[in-house]
Amino acid sequence: MGTARIGAAAASTLHSLCALGVAAAYFLAQRVCVLDLVAHPAQTLRLLLVIEAPITIGVYSWLRRDTHGCSVWKAIGRGLLALPVGAAINAFGAIVLGAPVGIKYWTVTAYWSLLMSLFTFVPAACAFGPSRMDWQRILSFSKLLDAVDYMISVPAYGAIIGAWIGAWPMPLDWERPWQEWPICVTYGAIAGYLTGMVASVVFIVALHRKVHAKGE
Amino acid sequence: MAEGSFEKKPRPILRPIFFLLLGLHALAVFLFTRGFLLTRTELSSYSHCHDLPSPNPSPSPPPPPPPPPTPRTPRDRDRDRDRDPPPPPRCWTRPAIDRLVVIVFDALRFDFVAPSTFFEEKKPWMDKLRVLHKLASDEGSSARIFKAIADPPTTSLQRLKGLTTGGLPTFIDVAHLGLILLLFMPPQLVKNGKRVLMMGDDTWMQLFPEHFEESHPYPSFNVKDLDTVDNGILEHLLPSLYKDDWDVLIAHFLGVDHAGHIFGVDSTPMIKKLEQYNSILESVVDVLKNLSRPGGLHENTYLIVMGDHGQTLNGDHGGGTAEEVETSLFAWSMRSPPSSISSVLEENMCKLNLDGEKLCVGTMQQLDFAVTMAALLGVPFPFGSIGRVNPELYALSAGTWDRQRTDAENCKLQSDLEAWMQNYANVLCINCWQVKRYIDLYSATSIIGFSADDLHFVTDLYERALANCSSNTKASCLFGTGVPKEIQDYSVSVLQSQIDAYSHFLESVAKLARSAWTEFDLLLMGIGLGILLLSIIIHILAATWVHILFQSYLKEQGIPGLSYRYFLAFLLVAIRAASFLSNSYILAEGRVANFLLGTTGIMNLWRSVEKGDLKKDEFAFLLLNVIIRFGIGFGLSKQTGGSSYLVSDSLKFVGINEGHLRWLVLEIFPIVFLSLLFVFLLKCIAHVDMSRYMKYFTIMGTVLSYVLIATHWASESILIFISPAFQGIGRNLAPRLVYAIGFGILGLSVLSRILDMKERMTVSERLTNSTVPMLSAWSPTILILLGKQGPFVAFVCIAGAWCIISSSKKFLSGTKSGTLGGLAVDPISVTQWSLLAVCLFYLTGHWCTFDGLRYGAAFIGFDHFNIIRQGILLSIDTFGVSHILPILGLPFIVALQYHDSKKGELKDAILLNLSQVFLIYGLITAITTTFTVLCATIQRRHLMIHLWGSNWRFKPVCTIQLKIQTSLYTFQVVHFSPK
Repeated sequence: MGTARIGAAAASTLHSLCALGVAAAYFLAQRVCVLDLVAHPAQTLRLLLVIEAPITIGVYSWLRRDTHGCSVWKAIGRGLLALPVGAAINAFGAIVLGAPVGIKYWTVTAYWSLLMSLFTFVPAACAFGPSRMDWQRILSFSKLLDAVDYMISVPAYGAIIGAWIGAWPMPLDWERPWQEWPICVTYGAIAGYLTGMVASVVFIVALHRKVHAKGE
Repeated sequence: MAEGSFEKKPRPILRPIFFLLLGLHALAVFLFTRGFLLTRTELSSYSHCHDLPSPNPSPSPPPPPPPPPTPRTPRDRDRDRDRDPPPPPRCWTRPAIDRLVVIVFDALRFDFVAPSTFFEEKKPWMDKLRVLHKLASDEGSSARIFKAIADPPTTSLQRLKGLTTGGLPTFIDVAHLGLILLLFMPPQLVKNGKRVLMMGDDTWMQLFPEHFEESHPYPSFNVKDLDTVDNGILEHLLPSLYKDDWDVLIAHFLGVDHAGHIFGVDSTPMIKKLEQYNSILESVVDVLKNLSRPGGLHENTYLIVMGDHGQTLNGDHGGGTAEEVETSLFAWSMRSPPSSISSVLEENMCKLNLDGEKLCVGTMQQLDFAVTMAALLGVPFPFGSIGRVNPELYALSAGTWDRQRTDAENCKLQSDLEAWMQNYANVLCINCWQVKRYIDLYSATSIIGFSADDLHFVTDLYERALANCSSNTKASCLFGTGVPKEIQDYSVSVLQSQIDAYSHFLESVAKLARSAWTEFDLLLMGIGLGILLLSIIIHILAATWVHILFQSYLKEQGIPGLSYRYFLAFLLVAIRAASFLSNSYILAEGRVANFLLGTTGIMNLWRSVEKGDLKKDEFAFLLLNVIIRFGIGFGLSKQTGGSSYLVSDSLKFVGINEGHLRWLVLEIFPIVFLSLLFVFLLKCIAHVDMSRYMKYFTIMGTVLSYVLIATHWASESILIFISPAFQGIGRNLAPRLVYAIGFGILGLSVLSRILDMKERMTVSERLTNSTVPMLSAWSPTILILLGKQGPFVAFVCIAGAWCIISSSKKFLSGTKSGTLGGLAVDPISVTQWSLLAVCLFYLTGHWCTFDGLRYGAAFIGFDHFNIIRQGILLSIDTFGVSHILPILGLPFIVALQYHDSKKGELKDAILLNLSQVFLIYGLITAITTTFTVLCATIQRRHLMIHLWGSNWRFKPVCTIQLKIQTSLYTFQVVHFSPK
């Protein structure tokens, strides 16, 4: 599967699939299971994770770079492996930035970092595997090459920046339950992820224009 | 710009710029503080029974004030307490009541208590405390509802201080080192043999940790919890009423305050709370009534039900709006005063209550509460009180109507009213004398006292009142004994005029104090702020100018990603500055700085991964950040108190005995870290190439200092038994020697730099040479002041600095900008440096309040207090690790960068680099200071939120001092930097 095939339309379809996954999980949590992110952060995050993980891993495994040398199943396996590794890195980052540690918090921290890993690490792991070149390329924003790079990189950036910004209400003394870790951070991350998806589609359109202009 | 002109230009022009900035900052800070910080010195004196002038026949001239208080160490205080003789049976005033029950409902609005007929509209939360209405309207009863007006800030802590001292809140309580609390009522009560029983809000325990005979404190922190405190009180309140082992009972309920914070005033929980309080009050009143028969336990008990402040309909308080300052006070005396009381009580606010009975409401200042209670209980008035004995509150107690024995003999013909007025006039006379004494002593000792005109005015009023007093009462004023015969001639009107004269004096003093202590000079503040803004502009211009010079020197354009890093650095500083506009962020400043520091660390790591050359340093920096973070968290928990249980609990959970841990943490770790630090520092000094004598002195000094620090700690150790002689040496001599050695090295290094300039050294070497002695001069002093956490903090500091420098080096050397690669300033690392400094401030257990000053540090090496000496030590402790060391160490960013890059000969480039680093650092601090000052200006009225008052006050002082120091050291280092 050549990456050149991925046009803006395909990218937006795939992205909306992922976004729908988030929305469906949220809807399910609210309506069916009567769960609320504010009241039951751990359960809601778990539900989000369970619904979103198959979608994301499936989509990005299908988008894998090396279509010949690597079967879909192998890509899925890579994604599953990357999930806890990415979660560990995300959790470390969160703790460096001041996420609370303690017996009370470790379940929510674990679920939150798994979700973040799903937004950031798992897509890249599914698509690129252990290729060091690819990983370095998507880390630097200016070197992105094609549509898949944008599809992986921009939403991931969005999720991280969104989570970072989402931390700002935490020190305020409003005494609101959603100021607790990791609720507002999760909201920020999801908002950033969705924004990143939209932005990546825009970038892909721009990229295609440029390529066309060069071609003609 | 041509290279030739450049080589001559920078030095002569840069130095005036630094001078200019220094001057501007000093001026701005001076003007702003003059306008904002209305310094009031708290005087640490008790009033004593024997303070009253001896009953000689001439009350004027006023009695000389007692000698200025000599601040004492806690040990002295204990000795004093033991030495004090038991109080004489009669003190300043005759005790009018035997026992006092004070029930405080936090945030009790006036309309919670007063009947709804007093207001235009009946609201759901009104008329809930019906039992009070009933008592107040009962004919012949001695109960009354008052509207009590509090002085802002209306927070519990500030109000409790106000209630117990009778003083005004201060904007900075420049206390004589932690002895603030001596002024208050509870100590006053304790010293006079009254037993105080306290239950409820633990804020009282913060104020008076050891003054209660018995206490049942409950935590006030969790505002979501409406019932714990109240239920805790209920458990103790009623049983205590049947006991006779207390004289003053204080019960502080928090439910209404918490209900307001969470649900607002117009809510079901609030109404439920009020109904619950009504039933509590009913049962209290029943008990008191049953026991108030003659000879009963509560024969002469005085019940006060009061609020400490009001609240808005949203449940907020802190500011100065009518809703917040108007609270209520209900007073009820078990013994009814004679019927002539009605002529004392004002009748201008009377309405019918719901049952159609007449009910009158008085108005009083909360300021007057402390002194009135003191007068009723017969204890000396609080030393710093400027309140007036409130006539209505005073008259309610039947005891004040009892004729004194001497009076009774002399003036059989006096009516009840006359006798009372005579008594009241005497009390007011003492009250005036006490206020005057405070004012005199205050103006004699404080830095910023009253203006001469005001003082003259007050003295004039006082003398006029006293003249009145002497012409009318002769000597009877201060002591009831020896009353001459003329007393019988007194008519009510004469007494009334005398009372008016006293009241006039007292009211004028209160008014004057309010205007002098709580007003701001907006013009001065504005000018100061303007100058600060100007200095920022100059900072930016200078930095840009240096940058341009630098670019021209570099010739070829720049380092990729530098402008991006400038942008990021600016963003971080802007976020930090903007965070000062919210009180919550000021409370969490340490955590915010840590968050931003972590962000920079993660960004550097990101960059390394992207470039593909990952170093251990970056991980180390992140780990360090985690350590700092937990350190700050620990410091914060120390601040909130009570969490030491938590720590020890968790340790027990892990299986470590607390005793072992204490032993390990307090005794072994510091010594281990200290020796490591010692080795490290010696190695550093050994590497530096300076003149032989200088080096010799520095090494000797350092060795000696560290040995002395170890001795000092050993002398305080509980593990080793040490002879008392050695202990004496270790306790006081060792720290003093450390200070002296530090001072000596500092002087020597300055001297050697002036005398001995080795031209053969490269610039970067010389930079290192001038910095290392500075650090080795300061560090032992700072270490010993920081106490046992010192070495550990120093390690964190060194490790952090090392990581920052190495990442900056990597960033700059990673760029391929020709021959001069690496010759630039990485703004991110300078920002990191300043954030690290902020983190270290919090890590060392400081926080930005006056309670956060580590007073203990000021007494290391000294037993006695001296304002200058202890002030210097305290500021070294406060600013040492967070400001002095980082600023002195800042040249390392430049120096170490060139250490191994063989470019040491680029003299002017390095100098420019150094100036750039200092300008950026200065700019960062200038921006944060300006924002702090700005928000202090905006928020000057609404200064506090619940409990955390002093943050707002201390913060400006804190950053302002930082500012001064930054400028100073900038100047200093630039001045002494290589020629």
